[in-house]
Amino acid sequence: MVASLTRRFGDLDLAEEAVAEAFATAVERWPADGVPPNPGGWLTTTANRKAIDRIRRENKRDTKQQEAQLLYDDGPPEPLGPIDDERLRLIFTCCHPALAQEARVALTLRMVGGLTVPEIARAFLVQATTMERRITRAKAKIKAARIPYRVPSAADLPARVSGVLTVLFLVFNEGYLATGPDTDPIRHDLTAEAIRLTRLIRALLPEDGEVTGLLALMLLIEARRAARVSASGELVTLDEQDRGVWDAALIAEGHHLVRERLAAGVAPGRYQILAAINAVHTSARDVRDTDWTQVAALYDQLVRIDPSPIVALNRAIAVAELDGPEVALAAVNRLADQLAGYHAYHAARADLLRRLGRSQESRAAYDKAIELAGNTAETAKLTRRRDQLG
Amino acid sequence: MQYLFSVIDDATGTGTAEEGAAIDAFNDRLQAQGYWVFAGGLESPSSATVIDNRGAEAILTDGPFVESKEYLGGFWVIEAPDLDVALKLAAEGSKACNRKVEVRPFQ
Repeated sequence: MVASLTRRFGDLDLAEEAVAEAFATAVERWPADGVPPNPGGWLTTTANRKAIDRIRRENKRDTKQQEAQLLYDDGPPEPLGPIDDERLRLIFTCCHPALAQEARVALTLRMVGGLTVPEIARAFLVQATTMERRITRAKAKIKAARIPYRVPSAADLPARVSGVLTVLFLVFNEGYLATGPDTDPIRHDLTAEAIRLTRLIRALLPEDGEVTGLLALMLLIEARRAARVSASGELVTLDEQDRGVWDAALIAEGHHLVRERLAAGVAPGRYQILAAINAVHTSARDVRDTDWTQVAALYDQLVRIDPSPIVALNRAIAVAELDGPEVALAAVNRLADQLAGYHAYHAARADLLRRLGRSQESRAAYDKAIELAGNTAETAKLTRRRDQLG
Repeated sequence: MQYLFSVIDDATGTGTAEEGAAIDAFNDRLQAQGYWVFAGGLESPSSATVIDNRGAEAILTDGPFVESKEYLGGFWVIEAPDLDVALKLAAEGSKACNRKVEVRPFQ
């Protein structure tokens, strides 16, 4: 066990201490809780978790490299060992459809990700007591209703994987949306955590297109993190980002995965299409080199399988680059009823109106967007754009 | 492990003949596969009586314990090894009786 932990974390002291703590916990808990069905697996999982906890507790600067190693993974997926089986059982249990979505997210982060309850609470902006209750209730339900602790059968797997991917993408988005100088650093860890867990699912299901698609999507989005927020804490949109600071290694891996899925010749699901769109964007050295025809074509595909108004909105934004802002605005305006409460809808309208020289209407739209936007980095950007209208 | 499947009914209409046939078929399957413990449909809430004997005397009240838009229309008690099995069966039951079904474990 120390060996495998050492291999994973590259730190013998850390591995030994984590294993010792795991044994101590076992001695403490097993008399009361009963010996788990797979004691070896339990010990290994616990030791892993304690090692992760320890890394998190230590100085962020020192551990940046260790975390980077967890983030990058150039090698082919290693065959699953007993530790991974344990973690997969855990993920599928934590993501069981009988649990509420927010309970699934909280439980996955606690049991699989090893985050502490206060950390999860801060990440999702709720009180620690609320988060504690949420997790306790979920565990109680698992026990009382006898939610089975296993990887679903082959027949059930596709539907269940879909649920897991939703949870992982939610976790990723929480981390991704964390921007600005006042943001709790724990939120940045969420993207790395989501990527790590998605890699694990991919090791279980290497042929699953949507798992690969989600991983590619996360990598391609994460690759742009450094360029997303300016020094003054303002959100920098894709068209204005310094592409020189994009992470080339993550982009390379993301592109490789997208190509893998294209070569599979299977009709792509939602995550694969979103990944492909991001691949097109990240292929352009400069925003002016963006292949908007491809982007628009991919959105046409996406709309067919996901007719949500947000997809339609994003498609219209791409169409603006091909057919001009007038055509795009007409398409965007059609979404008014559905997206009236969504800040990005008003931001898109504001931008298109600005490009059409309709400053008064643009200003009004920016005002609405600012009112609805929660994220301070986003608000700063919108305010600047509005003030530039003159 | 036993589970209670509660059929959630509302006043919009009584069971149809098709639903009855589907329920019978479902019940036959439950019995054949060994999940069946007990099941039954209930008369309407207006046929209920509430007894409160917590005090000195038993008090009778005409009608259900709570007037609500949705109420218990019937139920199954089944024996299943875990929630996944129970949920699969309940899904069939919900389809058969054409109602929502609540799945709840016994203590």
